Amino acid sequence: MNPKEEKVKIITEEVDENDEDAGVGSQKKTSKMARQKRKKPLPAAGPEEMVSENAHLGNQPEPLQEDSDTRPVSMTTRRGPRSLPPIPSASRTGFAEFSMRERMREKLQAARSKAESTLLQEIPTPRPRRLQSPGEKELETEFGTEPGEEAQKTQQEDDSQSRSRVKFRDSVRKIKTKPPVPPGFPSAEEAYNFFTFNFDPEPEESEEKPKAKNRDGTTQEEEEGEEEEPPVQGIHKTDEQLLISATEAEAFLWGLDHTAADFVAVRPADYESAHVRLQMEKELLFVPSRLTVPTYKKLPENVQPRYLEDEGLYIGTRPDVPRTCQNIMENRLLTQEPGRRWFGDDGRIVALPNPIKPFPSRPPVLTQEQDFRAELETLYKKAVKYVHRSQHMIGSGDSPGNFQLDIDISGLIFTHHPCFSREHVLAAKLAQLYDQYLARHQRNKAKFLTDKLQALRNAVQTGLNPEKTHKSLDTTQKTINEYKSEIRQTRKLRDAEQEKDRMLLKTIIKVWKEMKSLREFQRFTNTPLKLVLRKEKVDQKADEEAYEAEIQAEISELLEEHMEEHEQKMEAYRAAYQQWKAWKKAQRAKKKKKKQAVEEHPEEEMGEPYPEEDPVKPVPPEPTDRALMEHQVRERAARSRRRPGEPLLVPELSLAGSVTPNEQCPRVEVLRREDVKRRSIYLKVIFNDKEVSRTDSRPLGADFRVHFGQIFNLQIFNWPESLTLQVYETVGHSGTTLLAEVFLPIPETTIVTGRAPIEEVEFSSNQHVTLDHEGVGSGMPFSFEADGSNQLILMTSGKVSNSVAWAIGENGIPLIPPLSQQNIGFRSVLKRADAISSIGTSGLTDLKKLAKWAAESKLDPNDPNNAPLMQLISVATSGESYVPDFFRLEQLQQEFNFVSDEELSRSKRFRLLCLRSQEVPEFRNYKQIPAYDREIMEKVFQDYEKRLRDRNVIETKDHIDPHRAMVAKYLQQVRESVINRFLIAKHHFLLSDLIVEEEVPNISILGLSLFKLAEQKRPLRPRRKGRKKVTAQNLSDGDIKVLVNIIRAYDIPVRKPTASKFQQPSRSSRTFSEKHAASPPTHSPTHSADYPLGQVLVRPFVEVSFQRTICHTTTAEGPNPSWNEELELPFRAPNGDYSTSSLQSVKDDVFINIFDEVLYDVLEDDRERGSGIHTRIERHWLGCVKIPFSTIYFQAKIDGTFKIDIPPVLLGYSKERSMIIERGFDSVRSLSEGSYITLFITMEPQLVPGESVREKFDSQEDEKLLQATEKFQAECALKFPHRQCLTTVTDISGKTVFITRYLKPLNPPQELLEACPNNPQATAELVARYVSLIPFLPDTVSFAGICDLWSTSDQFLDLLAGDEEEHAVLLCNYFLSLGKKAWLVMGSAIPEGPTAYVLTREQSHYLIWNPCSGHFYGQFDTFCPLKSVGCLIGPDNTDSQDHQVILVTPSFGGTLNYEGYCRRLVKNRSYEVRVPEFKLQCHHLLAV
Amino acid sequence: MAAAGPSVFLLMVNGQVESAQFPEYDDLYCKYCFVYGQDWAPTAGLEEGISQITSKSQDVRQALVWNFPIDVTFKSTNPYGWPQIVLSVYGPDVFGNDVVRGYGAVHLPFSPGRHKRTIPMFVPESTSKLQKFTSWFMGRRPEYTDPKVVAQGEGREGENAEAETPKAAQLMPPFSSQ
Repeated sequence: MNPKEEKVKIITEEVDENDEDAGVGSQKKTSKMARQKRKKPLPAAGPEEMVSENAHLGNQPEPLQEDSDTRPVSMTTRRGPRSLPPIPSASRTGFAEFSMRERMREKLQAARSKAESTLLQEIPTPRPRRLQSPGEKELETEFGTEPGEEAQKTQQEDDSQSRSRVKFRDSVRKIKTKPPVPPGFPSAEEAYNFFTFNFDPEPEESEEKPKAKNRDGTTQEEEEGEEEEPPVQGIHKTDEQLLISATEAEAFLWGLDHTAADFVAVRPADYESAHVRLQMEKELLFVPSRLTVPTYKKLPENVQPRYLEDEGLYIGTRPDVPRTCQNIMENRLLTQEPGRRWFGDDGRIVALPNPIKPFPSRPPVLTQEQDFRAELETLYKKAVKYVHRSQHMIGSGDSPGNFQLDIDISGLIFTHHPCFSREHVLAAKLAQLYDQYLARHQRNKAKFLTDKLQALRNAVQTGLNPEKTHKSLDTTQKTINEYKSEIRQTRKLRDAEQEKDRMLLKTIIKVWKEMKSLREFQRFTNTPLKLVLRKEKVDQKADEEAYEAEIQAEISELLEEHMEEHEQKMEAYRAAYQQWKAWKKAQRAKKKKKKQAVEEHPEEEMGEPYPEEDPVKPVPPEPTDRALMEHQVRERAARSRRRPGEPLLVPELSLAGSVTPNEQCPRVEVLRREDVKRRSIYLKVIFNDKEVSRTDSRPLGADFRVHFGQIFNLQIFNWPESLTLQVYETVGHSGTTLLAEVFLPIPETTIVTGRAPIEEVEFSSNQHVTLDHEGVGSGMPFSFEADGSNQLILMTSGKVSNSVAWAIGENGIPLIPPLSQQNIGFRSVLKRADAISSIGTSGLTDLKKLAKWAAESKLDPNDPNNAPLMQLISVATSGESYVPDFFRLEQLQQEFNFVSDEELSRSKRFRLLCLRSQEVPEFRNYKQIPAYDREIMEKVFQDYEKRLRDRNVIETKDHIDPHRAMVAKYLQQVRESVINRFLIAKHHFLLSDLIVEEEVPNISILGLSLFKLAEQKRPLRPRRKGRKKVTAQNLSDGDIKVLVNIIRAYDIPVRKPTASKFQQPSRSSRTFSEKHAASPPTHSPTHSADYPLGQVLVRPFVEVSFQRTICHTTTAEGPNPSWNEELELPFRAPNGDYSTSSLQSVKDDVFINIFDEVLYDVLEDDRERGSGIHTRIERHWLGCVKIPFSTIYFQAKIDGTFKIDIPPVLLGYSKERSMIIERGFDSVRSLSEGSYITLFITMEPQLVPGESVREKFDSQEDEKLLQATEKFQAECALKFPHRQCLTTVTDISGKTVFITRYLKPLNPPQELLEACPNNPQATAELVARYVSLIPFLPDTVSFAGICDLWSTSDQFLDLLAGDEEEHAVLLCNYFLSLGKKAWLVMGSAIPEGPTAYVLTREQSHYLIWNPCSGHFYGQFDTFCPLKSVGCLIGPDNTDSQDHQVILVTPSFGGTLNYEGYCRRLVKNRSYEVRVPEFKLQCHHLLAV
Repeated sequence: MAAAGPSVFLLMVNGQVESAQFPEYDDLYCKYCFVYGQDWAPTAGLEEGISQITSKSQDVRQALVWNFPIDVTFKSTNPYGWPQIVLSVYGPDVFGNDVVRGYGAVHLPFSPGRHKRTIPMFVPESTSKLQKFTSWFMGRRPEYTDPKVVAQGEGREGENAEAETPKAAQLMPPFSSQ
């Protein structure tokens, strides 16, 4: 505790005294904390420093005053916004009081501080520093800024006195201190900023400053001064330095200037033009061109490039070099080395195959850019027992480790070692040779061959003796020849063997001699080797004889041979000689000729060609010289054979010799022996590249043999891939060196312990060792000769004797892993390139595996390295492998059949489901197929089965005659086929079937819609707007209504006026109206006016009946009544099925009956007439109109005037009267006789009729014709988009047929023709009636579904039922046969809709025939039901050929007159013609 | 599953069309209906329904929440033709025309319990750029003739497949079937 600390305490206590409020407590705490924080830096700045600082301060003008001055300021600032604690005090105690108290305290403090300053020798007060201390600041900011701010505001407002004082003090201080606001002191703004801002951006500054202040321990001003001073000084210093350096530089420059002025001559800069430089560079530099070198430059002249690859030779892949680099290199080579040795036959640079392996041998390093922390993160992994990879694993099921490999290492012999002395080298050589000799001796091939030779000779001898042979001469000769050739072979072999034997013996002796001489020379022996040559005495004479006999035999044989040869040669010579002679003769003759020729044409002599060289005169072969041959034979015998009488030498090598002891040896030898002794050898056993064990370290013996005699039992998991012994040599304590590696073969599975032979495996090392003693070293040249010639280089080598075998278990089972465990499928890609590592050694014997491997590794079959392998594989695979030549589909089907087929077919439910999915009519809409078989009634199938059974049985019961029954059957069949066809078509959807999409508006539509904008909103005569169509989906009974609007009728038959004659036949017959003539209906006043009697002619009403519903209108009056009434009839679809297909087949008709309502007064008693009315209403049927529902359905609306079917005879009614009356107002109507009714029928809501099936049927028509029709149709559709234009139709068998095929003149029945032979018109009418009598049956009804099948007239007459078109076709054909000009009219009529009529041309006019009714209409008939015409179809009358047909599409304008635009399609071509004579004036036909 | 008379089993579905994600559109309503096989028949509940129009939620999810209840019971003899719910979402376009914003279908869950399904929605695309423009302009987008088409496979191969663009939309009706 230093005095400062005490002082701090005093001050805080004082503060406590001043602020008695509890709120101050917190301040105290904070201040305490702040002070405690402050304590730490203070001691660092020791009191001495302070003193010195203060002393420095003393230099300033008013140190003391300033000291005292700063403190109150700091006090105020503390009280101000920057100190938090006063807030509560400020708010609670009055400010006046507060200010008073403060003033008091200030004074007190001032006094105290004075005292203190004197006492403590200007030790700075902690208080001001407290404000600036960083701890304080931090604290304050921590407390939050807002309260402070508020406090500031309140104080600024309220505490004006203190404020002003502060201001005053501030101003004073401003004057006194150099900077207006000391940086340490925050201004109001700064303070504000301090509280509101985050001081993040410059934390160092704010921290450093207070620190500095703390260290200084002085007030702000002092610090300021200090802070400002050093930089100034620094500047001064640097300024001075600059000055000095400037002067120095000047001096230097001056000196330099002097010298420069003396020596430097001013010249213009050297300039070399770029051109010149380039020229120079060109001379020096060579820039090879990048252009491709033409091949001929790279090859010798007149040599075509030869591509080895094309010849089937293997060329490895060349390393990939960019083309430009290659070009540059080639250019360079061409210019630098004119010789083309760098270029191959194919004109490319000679290159070795690409050495780069396709697969990296190093596993790829995962270079994922991860967070390094993630990489460093330690992961805990549970210790897992090492699981062997499956390809190495042996038998996962078997207990692992049951396999054992026994390796017996018995010893090691060095055949060369660096420590070998020269003698050792020789000894090794000798031992080797002796081994060789022993081996040869054991086989004794020479003896065997000699015996064989003898045997052969005997055979020849016997063969030559004819008495002993019973064979034919030919065969003997042949065998003898064979024998002879064999003898020759054997003799040669024997000679070689004998020579080898002899040579070996000689070398052994030579080496032994060398060794002996060496031993003598060096005067010590190193090796115990000793060669003893044992001589075996032989019988001189016998030996000599045998020798001589042998030689003689050989000579004779040779002679024979030579004779044969000579004979052959002679023959060849003779032939050649003859040839030569002939040539010579010819030559001579030629020469003679030539001479003559030369005489004649001397100038030609020069050009005489000598095409063939003169054949050399053959030399006759020399006869063999026996003496010479004998000499040769003897020489050879001497060389290779033991001389007769010479003892037989048998070398015997023994180790009986003694080795010179060390003491008697020279120093170098002793050193060598010591070196050998220091060395020891051990072996490591490496299994699958892992060391498994090692032998003991054994010292190297003086004979360079190491005996180990150790057996290692390797218990293995893995299949042995490699077994290696490493030979290590230890020299003293210096360490071990790896001498060599010995690779042991993995034993075959048949080799087990006990049976394995000890094998010697050779090894050698390539180490170079030079030794400073007698040792010859390794890999170093040395010589036995004194002069150092005949140098030898020997490498360390040796043999390891070992045996490897599979162990045998306790129960005698060899512990061998099964071979099948090897699976090549698991091999890594790396190993793919190596067959052995890939499939294992034993895999090499399995050709299939090998082939598989070869295929997998994509061996280059052209690579010569692979050639034998490929051949082997090709041989192996061609014969053995079996590839099935079939492919099994759904091979797992059997497994998934959960029920047998019979059971499945027996299941009723399955059958039902099948039939439904096939859409068999009976089951098509079958709902809720029962869940169980037992719930399915047998009768479900009855109908279906019956139908199937009855398919071919024709029942006559239901029909009038068998013909009709047959027709019905036939129709049924056609219907079925059609249904099937349409069922298929129904499942083909177009985009428009699924997606409603607006069409792209074209100009006309756009224009129309624009025009519509200008239309009247409420036109006077509103047009009928199309209603929304409803697709038949959610309809039920009662939803659909048929609306029949009955408007008016014309020419209703009227009651016969003659009825008045019978006015009184009976009272009951009097009509009601007659009685009440005085009150005629006002409905038709004109009529009533006409009738003088005021008699009502007729009171008609209309009754509409449809599906058993009957509605009727009110009663109108007169023959031309007007009802204008709408009748509503409910529609019920059959079986409640409102689907399109069901609606199509509704056969119901709408009957519109017209009745005359007649009232009869049945009042018997006239007296009651005044009080009551008693009448009877009678309805007299006048006629009817029948409209099929299908028409309404397809037409959507029927609007028009219909002819009422009136029976020919209507009793009591007539039309005559009306005829007379009506003629006046409409002459046109006069043509038609009959009554008409105007109707409008529609359905509510409007149903969408099903679309006709779009399906292209196949056709037998000419393709060209079909194309033409399509084109024609397309053109017509373009011109008249709404017109029905037919070119092809579907016939009853479902084929597309050209429409005119139906039209051909047919003779009508003879009876019809004979009926009115003189009146063609009557005949025509009769024919029409005849046709109309054939029953009408719409296609939709007969063939379900919207289709238009055209049956021919023949078929039509057979079926006895048909549609409009059939009728029309038949009628047209009849008319044609009558000699009329007739056409088929395709148009739309009322009520049928699109239909077919027949048009005939009479003398002056045209008639339109309705084929179904037999009616005909004049071309001007208003009531003609045909309302528009799509096209006319008929045979071209101008053409003679019947089938050439014109199709006419008349164009109707709004005008009445027809404009003769025609378009004809004749056969295969369509073209436009104007047909002037074809002028049809049918003005009543409206434009479509 | 209950057997009454001819053995049938019942499928009771109740749940709701919860919400949808249509990032581009707002003020949508949805329609649901069921498509089922021939052996199925509704016995109780509503087969079809049109929901209220809903606006996007103002939070981050921007979900269109309908919470539109579904309650229907089917009876059937055959699991073949298991009912599918077909949802179609409509809403006004820029010009105020009511256009379709998505179609989607999903099979009713096969197992009892509470399920939540998210259906990707799509609309048929115009066949050409010009048609796209005109349909946009006229407010007559291509629509299916019947929304039930989306639950059927027939006729939707070939020409129609490319006409569909999946929309990132989700409808999550949780169903529980017993």
